[in-house]
Amino acid sequence: MDISYIGLILSLLLLAFPILIFWQLKLKLVKQLLSSFARMIAQLALIGIWLQILLDKDNLWLTLFWVLIMLSNAVITLRNRISFQKKILMPIFFMALGVASLIVLPWVMLVVIRPQPLYRSEILIPIYGMILGNSMNSCALAMERFEGKLSDNWKAYYTRLSLGANIWEAALPAFRQAMHISLLPRLLSIASMGIVSLPGMMTGQILGGASALIAIKYQMMIMAAIFSSVSIADYLAIRMYLKRRFDRYDLPI
Amino acid sequence: MVDQNKAAPEQLKLQLKRLYYEDRLLLENLNLSVKRGEKILLMGATGSGKTSLLNTLNLMNMNYEGDIYFEGKELRQYNAQLLRSRIITVMQEPWLGDALVKEALSEPFGYMAIRKRGITENQESILRLLKAFELPAEHLEKKAEQLSGGEKQRLALLRALILQPEILLLDEISSALDQETSRIISQIIFHQFPGTVIAISHDPLWQNSWERRWEIKEGRILDNGAAAWT
Repeated sequence: MDISYIGLILSLLLLAFPILIFWQLKLKLVKQLLSSFARMIAQLALIGIWLQILLDKDNLWLTLFWVLIMLSNAVITLRNRISFQKKILMPIFFMALGVASLIVLPWVMLVVIRPQPLYRSEILIPIYGMILGNSMNSCALAMERFEGKLSDNWKAYYTRLSLGANIWEAALPAFRQAMHISLLPRLLSIASMGIVSLPGMMTGQILGGASALIAIKYQMMIMAAIFSSVSIADYLAIRMYLKRRFDRYDLPI
Repeated sequence: MVDQNKAAPEQLKLQLKRLYYEDRLLLENLNLSVKRGEKILLMGATGSGKTSLLNTLNLMNMNYEGDIYFEGKELRQYNAQLLRSRIITVMQEPWLGDALVKEALSEPFGYMAIRKRGITENQESILRLLKAFELPAEHLEKKAEQLSGGEKQRLALLRALILQPEILLLDEISSALDQETSRIISQIIFHQFPGTVIAISHDPLWQNSWERRWEIKEGRILDNGAAAWT
């Protein structure tokens, strides 16, 4: 069921309620609300037009090009989010997200879904977007936690080092905690899926007219793909970071 | 395994040209050697470079020019982990973690370097040492954070000792401790530990036990009052 442009404009009228609330509370968010929605509308309109072209053409090179753009955007977003060791981290994020994508995306496309053609962009692009977006957020969180755990407790690191631990043995507890903090909430939300809320992909597919049965299969598949990619990206990012963060005597650089 | 006896006559030989802490030059033209089993007190004003010198001896400070030989081999040629497990530092405020004491004590036995040296966990020697340190065996089942400062410091030293280091580097370990703890620790360091000890300490209880005193003065070291520079 399509939405008419007039319908779309009418949906924006719903924003009158928050604006009234802000006005009564003298909450200085009205400007932010207007600019946020204006940005969202402009960005989505542009990307919608571009995606329409991309999906219509269904060209392998164009699709791969777009995959690379998405990956670069993810890395740039990460750079802006992380406030420490930016220089070291850029190539690390690129590699970690890149390798995770290279493992998970071909598996999903070539082995699991097997569309015709195999690179069919209307499937590949949205799925990659979900995998990449989740991996990106998770990478940032895991890395922040890891660096946080290390620098909160250099004493632990140095004590282990001074007892003969290698870099791996000395940093493993922080590594473990970072992975735990990053992955546990995901596992909990996976466990509550379907009871509390219908996940985004499923909702989208059902609204788009797919049967609920197809929608849940996609949802299950995408959860496995996302969780796998997230774990790979977190793990690789922290491992590579360990190599660059310390010198050959395991002392921090 | 440890090649303690076949190597050079002196266990440690320092031929330091310069030693820095970050960018600050602390020590210059230092010539010293240490025999196995010597107990050496390192003295000097705050900021004179005592801790930096200790840290240099187990590769925790790499900011030096010149050579330091341990058993005839320059420090930088060692595998860092292996060297650090043979020359162990105990710090002023020990870190034991938030696990149980027994877990904190056994963690290093999982380290590759300790396994390579063929040292394995021995419950009996832990219990014997606990007794020597006048700590009850029940402490093994407690969390380190439940213990007093003095108990933690004794456990930190115990943790170092069960790894059978050849040299112990002690950085003010008895400051802020009560006399009783200080006495127990000195008994073990001076009468039970066979290896070399190089310590920074202001503990009056220990003052008469040292065989040798290194005093840092204006970037130089006086070795029992004699010049140790070239």
